Amino acid sequence: MVGAALALIEPIAARTEFVSEGELLAACRRRDLRAFEHLYQVHGARLKSVAYRLTGNRQDAEDVVQKTFLKLYRAIEGFEAQSSIGTWLCRIAINACYDLGRHRKREAELPVEQERGAKNQLPLKAALDDALGRIHPRYRMVFLLFEVEGFRHMEIASILQIPEGTSKAWLFEAKKELKRLLTETGR
Amino acid sequence: MIFQCNDLERALEFPELMPDARAHAERCESCRRQLYLWSEISRVAPQLHEDWESPGLWPRIELALVDAAPRPKHVPAWRWTIAVAAVALVAVMLSQPWRGKTPAPNGELLTDRALAEVQQAEQAYARSINRLSAVAQKDLEKSAAPVAAAYREKLLVLDSAIADVKANLESNRYNTYLQTELASLYKDKQNTLKEWLDYAKRN
Repeated sequence: MVGAALALIEPIAARTEFVSEGELLAACRRRDLRAFEHLYQVHGARLKSVAYRLTGNRQDAEDVVQKTFLKLYRAIEGFEAQSSIGTWLCRIAINACYDLGRHRKREAELPVEQERGAKNQLPLKAALDDALGRIHPRYRMVFLLFEVEGFRHMEIASILQIPEGTSKAWLFEAKKELKRLLTETGR
Repeated sequence: MIFQCNDLERALEFPELMPDARAHAERCESCRRQLYLWSEISRVAPQLHEDWESPGLWPRIELALVDAAPRPKHVPAWRWTIAVAAVALVAVMLSQPWRGKTPAPNGELLTDRALAEVQQAEQAYARSINRLSAVAQKDLEKSAAPVAAAYREKLLVLDSAIADVKANLESNRYNTYLQTELASLYKDKQNTLKEWLDYAKRN
């Protein structure tokens, strides 16, 4: 009971340790590991989910998150704070996923089979998951970031380095495609 | 506006047309299904967020970050040689009799005094770091955590570098470069000990 209560309190305590993004960034630049742990607690779950969607398995997703933090640690001096650290982390993670994909292609491995438990999913969720794998990758990416992970268009624009209007347009195209595919499968 | 089935797509793109689309959908089964599906996609999408417990991930990342921490640069032998040669050259130039300058009677005394001050400050600093080290070492040696092993290794590297620089300084007491290098290594050691103590406190 006490342990469970502590588990709830600890992340909150860690979150309030840095009162502003500027303070957090300064601590990261000092290579203060508490600052990186704080970033992990706040953004880790979302990064894992994005990486999982792009790599297709949990082990690779965790490796990508580790690489993301390592890249952040090494490149923090070059971060110009034109976007938030969270969106920058997501951009690093997406690039790390692409790097992993390219590496896999070079090694001529078979495509990684998704670990998704489609059988356990609700019908519409499973159908949506399936349809998502069949739409254009750039539409899929915007859909994932906006609808699944809850990023705003402004943040997506910064992550994918596209205009905000393009992000909105691609989201519309993604939903239109998904609606068409789901209608075809009789949902 | 008379809303028709083929206006639905435009309505989905431009929310201001949505009231007309909804009014039309009340009478049209096909458009009602399309509108329902459109909103269901957004409702169900957050469920595609994948989450799972990974208790070992942060410790793994932390270890990688400790490992990636900038280490004191190893100064190659040729740089030591150049530094020693430069100091020797300056010493020779200062002692040139043909320059016509007679050294100030107390010049040597001043240099010795400045050096003594630096050495005293360095000794006091080293003593305080040793005290900090004694506090930190107890926990550090006891701990079996992989992070502790990384800190132990880093401290070993720092101690060895400090010993090297000190040995060089004994034969080259006036070398300010070596004095600066030594101060920087002590600072690095102090920060490492502080980081470990912070880590130990939190865990």
